[in-house]
Amino acid sequence: METIELKIYNIVGNQLCIEAEDGQKVYTLIKKGFVEGKKIILSFQNVSMITTAFLNTAIGQLYRDYTEEKIKSSLEVVNIDQDDVRRIKRVTDTAKAFYKDREGQLKKSISEILGEGNDD
Amino acid sequence: MAIYTLTKIDNGYNSYKQIIELYQTHKDTFFDTIDIHLDQWFGANMAAVLGGVLDLFIDNMNTINLFIENSETKNVLMRNGFLSHYGYERVIDDRHSTIEYLKIKPTDGRFFNSYIIDEFINRSEMPEMTGALKKKIAESIYELFVNAKDHSGTKFIYTCGQVFPVKNKIEFTIADTGKGFQRVVNDALLTNFTAGQAIKWAIKDRNTTKNDITGGIGLAILHEFIKLNKGRLQIISGNGFYEFDEEGERIHKFPYDFPGSYINVSIRTDDDSSYALKEEIDSNDLF
Repeated sequence: METIELKIYNIVGNQLCIEAEDGQKVYTLIKKGFVEGKKIILSFQNVSMITTAFLNTAIGQLYRDYTEEKIKSSLEVVNIDQDDVRRIKRVTDTAKAFYKDREGQLKKSISEILGEGNDD
Repeated sequence: MAIYTLTKIDNGYNSYKQIIELYQTHKDTFFDTIDIHLDQWFGANMAAVLGGVLDLFIDNMNTINLFIENSETKNVLMRNGFLSHYGYERVIDDRHSTIEYLKIKPTDGRFFNSYIIDEFINRSEMPEMTGALKKKIAESIYELFVNAKDHSGTKFIYTCGQVFPVKNKIEFTIADTGKGFQRVVNDALLTNFTAGQAIKWAIKDRNTTKNDITGGIGLAILHEFIKLNKGRLQIISGNGFYEFDEEGERIHKFPYDFPGSYINVSIRTDDDSSYALKEEIDSNDLF
C-alpha cells in the first residue's frame, strides 16, 4: 500500500491544533487518501497543542465512514508525545462507542442524570 | 437614570447572584443611563462575567458608567484592560498579575491562540510551574474556548483572569452570552433537564449534543484535570450554579436566569503532578 505523509503543522498552518474546522481539513485529506487506497501517516511534528474538538473532526468521524480494521491498517501517527497519544486514544475509543450505539448511549446518559434526581 | 451597586464581588454564589440580579433589573431597560458602583472588592476574573452582561445592556442602547471607589480594585481593573471599555485610561500592568480582559468574536480563534501564548505559555512572570502543568492549563482553556464557540451561538466570548503568586493560584473565567447549557442540551436531547442537570450531563465523559460527530470529551478532561490539580471548577448557566472542588460537587439554583454560560477555573500553580501516563500507549494500538 502506498504511503502518504500528511504534515499537520502545514495543514493547520500553526503549532496549535485547536478548532474543529482545522480538524475537518485533516479529515478531508485523510478521506481523499483512503478513497485512493493509500495509507496515511499523520505527522504531528512541531505541533504543540491539540484539543479533542480538533481530533473529533480530524480522526473521530472516520469511524462513521470506515471500519475499525480499515482505519487500523490505513492510518498511523508519528512525531507525537505520549500525552497527545493518550488524547487520540480517548477520541478513538469515544468514537467507536458513539458510532456503535449512539441511541443507547444517549438514553443511558439521560437515565443516569434523572436517576441522580433534581438536586437544585 | 438608574443606579446599581455591586458589593464585594468574588467567585462565590452570592457574587454571581448579585450580577444576575443586576441583569434581571435592567434586561428590559432601553435608552437609559445605568450607573454601576463597584463597592469594596471586585475580583478581576469576574470582569468577564460582568462584561458579557453589560454588553447586553449596551445592545439596548443604554449608556453604562462604572464607578469604583476602592483604589486597589480600580487599579486591577485598569491594568487588565476591563475599564478601558468604559471610558477609563488603559494602564500598563506593572505588577504583572493580570490576565488581560478579552472580548472576541467566536470566529477569532487565531487571535485567541495568540492571547493564550502571550498570557500563559510564553509569559515569564507567571508563578513557577512544571511544563506539564502549563500545557494542561493552556489545553483546558482552549477546550473551553472551542466549547463556547461550537455550542453557544454567542456574539462574543469574554475571558479574563488573575494570577496570585503568593497564594499559588490562577483564576480564569470564560464567559458567553449565548444559549446556555440548559437550552442546548434540552433542544438536542428533547429532555426537560433543569439547568443544574444539564450542566452535570454536559461534563460527563462522552456526553455530546452532536449527532453526527463525536464530542463530549473536553469538559470531562477539564473536570479530571481540576480534580488532580485540587483546584476548583464553577459553571454558571441559566439559573444553575455548579461547583466542584476538593470537597466534592455542589449544585445550587439562582432565583433568576443568567444570560449564557460562565466557566471559572481556579488552578493551583504549586502542583507538581507529572500528568504523565502511568502506562504508555503503543501508537500502533491507537485505532
